[in-house]
Amino acid sequence: MSNKTREPMKPLDAEEFRKQRRLMVTWGVTLLVLFPLLIGLGLFMRLNQGELVHLQPNTFYAIMTLHGLGMAGLLFSFALGGLHFLVGTRFARTSVKVGYFVFIGVVVGVIGLVVATLIGGFAAGWYLLYPLPFKGTSWPEWSSGLTFISLLILGVVWLVGCVHIVRALSLEYGGFFQLMGWRYLGNKEPEEELPPIALISVVSLVPGILAFLAGAVFLIMFLFQLFEPSLEFNPLMMKNILFFFGHTLVNITIYCAVGWVYTLFPEFTGRAWKLTKVTVIAWNATFLFILFAYFHHLYMDFAQPISIQYAGQLASYMSAVPATAVTIFGVIAQLYHSKIKWGVIPLSFFLGAVGWAIGGIAAVVDSTIAVNKVLHNTLWVPAHFHTYMLMGVVLFILGFLYYLTAPQSGKEGGPKAGWAFWTFVTGSYGFLLMFYLGGMNSIPRRFAEYSTMGISSSHEIGALLARLAVFFVVLVLLGIITMGISIFIRLMRWVVTDATSTESSA
Amino acid sequence: MIAAMTTQVYAALVTIVVVYFILLGAIFLMRAAMVGTEDKYAAKGKVYKVRGFYFWGLCVVLTVGLFWTLRFLPYEEFQQKPGEIVTVVGMQWAWKMGIGSTDVKPKDFTGANQITLPVDTPITFQVTSEDVNHNFSIYNDRGVLLAQTQAMPGYRNDLQYRFREKGDYPILCLEYCGAPHTIMTGKIHVE
Ligand code: HEM
Ligand SMILES: [Cu+2]
Repeated sequence: MSNKTREPMKPLDAEEFRKQRRLMVTWGVTLLVLFPLLIGLGLFMRLNQGELVHLQPNTFYAIMTLHGLGMAGLLFSFALGGLHFLVGTRFARTSVKVGYFVFIGVVVGVIGLVVATLIGGFAAGWYLLYPLPFKGTSWPEWSSGLTFISLLILGVVWLVGCVHIVRALSLEYGGFFQLMGWRYLGNKEPEEELPPIALISVVSLVPGILAFLAGAVFLIMFLFQLFEPSLEFNPLMMKNILFFFGHTLVNITIYCAVGWVYTLFPEFTGRAWKLTKVTVIAWNATFLFILFAYFHHLYMDFAQPISIQYAGQLASYMSAVPATAVTIFGVIAQLYHSKIKWGVIPLSFFLGAVGWAIGGIAAVVDSTIAVNKVLHNTLWVPAHFHTYMLMGVVLFILGFLYYLTAPQSGKEGGPKAGWAFWTFVTGSYGFLLMFYLGGMNSIPRRFAEYSTMGISSSHEIGALLARLAVFFVVLVLLGIITMGISIFIRLMRWVVTDATSTESSA
Repeated sequence: MIAAMTTQVYAALVTIVVVYFILLGAIFLMRAAMVGTEDKYAAKGKVYKVRGFYFWGLCVVLTVGLFWTLRFLPYEEFQQKPGEIVTVVGMQWAWKMGIGSTDVKPKDFTGANQITLPVDTPITFQVTSEDVNHNFSIYNDRGVLLAQTQAMPGYRNDLQYRFREKGDYPILCLEYCGAPHTIMTGKIHVE
């Protein structure tokens, strides 16, 4: 491979590699099982909004809560698991024990959430906006408590997982400033190279660590209030904390996945993707934008200081610069006249970058305060984040899974993208388009049904778009289940191949 | 025609144009990636040259965009004194609206979910909530979202708006506030 970054880590022996691989396969299978189920919940919501089925409102919102928490949690967990494997088998040793600790914590947390929502009826939405979890009236207290505890477990194991990877990297490459690539900022070329994934991991996981600490704080406050109902917290402060938590979680999921794209793409183009002064500056800036971009969730809280509103739009706008000028142009420089073969692996990574860019522009438009005043809490919001989750992160994940299980293919690009892949992509964009059209037409988000709005045109448009979306979601499911089965078979094959032979190319 | 363009349409147009260029670029790149006539340094050199232009272009666009759009903030729409003040209290699951400012606690405030207001008058809605977060949103009868602000317990958000046309303006809640969230509606008659 043309990757000329220094070969730092003593390669794993066959036994260690097998253990890491089994852990990775465990994550893969978990994803393949849970992801279609969570899409199924999404389908139910669209069916209800399209008036093709009729759910009780609280059932709708319990499903919505589980879908949101489940998706955000699952994709982040998988991104973390992917980093744990990729970093651990190539760059810096990670512990399989810690990996399983995170995995088991995630499973316990997910079970807790399923019970709290589907059995308990907890339905405060994925963002648990204070004080709604305590004043929902349609779900019992124990289901709120169970949700907080489950999320606390998730937060704690994610925290451990993040700290573990950052620590492993820093043992290998030096402290925080080393990992942030500051050695590239001088005039001389650094003597030892830093692999991009190390920098990107730190840029995403350190804000993650801060976010999970913040998450733990508000969940503990929630638990206090559950036991002492007379307590009252400041709702504006709580909203700031929990959007810092939620926004950061979703945001860094993408960046973690971008980390493996930087690492794996060069294997298909035959061109090194190395850090330079420009990339380092860009990712250092991204670090700040990750921390401050969440302000754009509070534009419609006029009580928030105006300077913070300005800062929110500034940080959101600026985050487009490093993301496109460095990462997107990095992809272009990788590809242009590279004689690549468009197998499913580079194709997934490439289309993932395209989806990320499309979701990004929709996000920048909505992060404009003057626009947000008419798009806030319309379907435009799920439109943009579903774009970079479904057509960004999920494509990166598919590429990653194909890569792991087709390691011999190297420059060939892995298997060809078949009809299932294209069905998935087509279905996804169709489904997303209905969200965008909804947003454009002022259809509110989080409306179980549109018939109660009292505006007949909105009712008709909202329900029609939902019905059309149902069709596309079925395509998505068809594509993802078909691909899922074939990836599952590949995973089962991969996990028993001779470890030493796979190791060199994996 | 132009006058009838809503902010939503502008936002969608900008998005469509940019997405169009992203797709054009993506298709061009997918084809350009399948050939390999140049050595990789020459190829990279070309890309980086384009990136230089892109970088400065983007900086200009974003700066102009910032200055342009920050002129249309919803926080203080008009400088003059409001012609009318309306108190709005959100509760699970209804709106209480009444003319004038008030000192009574949100819980004790009595108001109706319908109100009549004058056309072409700067109006300040003083919005709060007595229980959970809500969002006071003004639609027109064609279903276009015109203005909104959060209704947060313990805080008062002042939303300023001027109705340009007579007619009925539906009020919706745009912050999920519990199972009956979608029935939390009201109406403003503008005469
Ligand atoms: C084809 C797959 C998917 C379908 C059909 C789907 C469907 C939906 C629907 C219908 C809603 C409610 C929209 C509304 O407010 O009216 C929703 C909300 C949401 N979805 Fe998805 N979704 C999909 C994939 C994803 C993915 C990949 C993620 C990853 C993060 C995700 C995360 C969320 C979140 C966080 C919410 C907000 C929940 C809330 O408002 O509390 N979804 N989804
Ligand atoms: Cu409400």
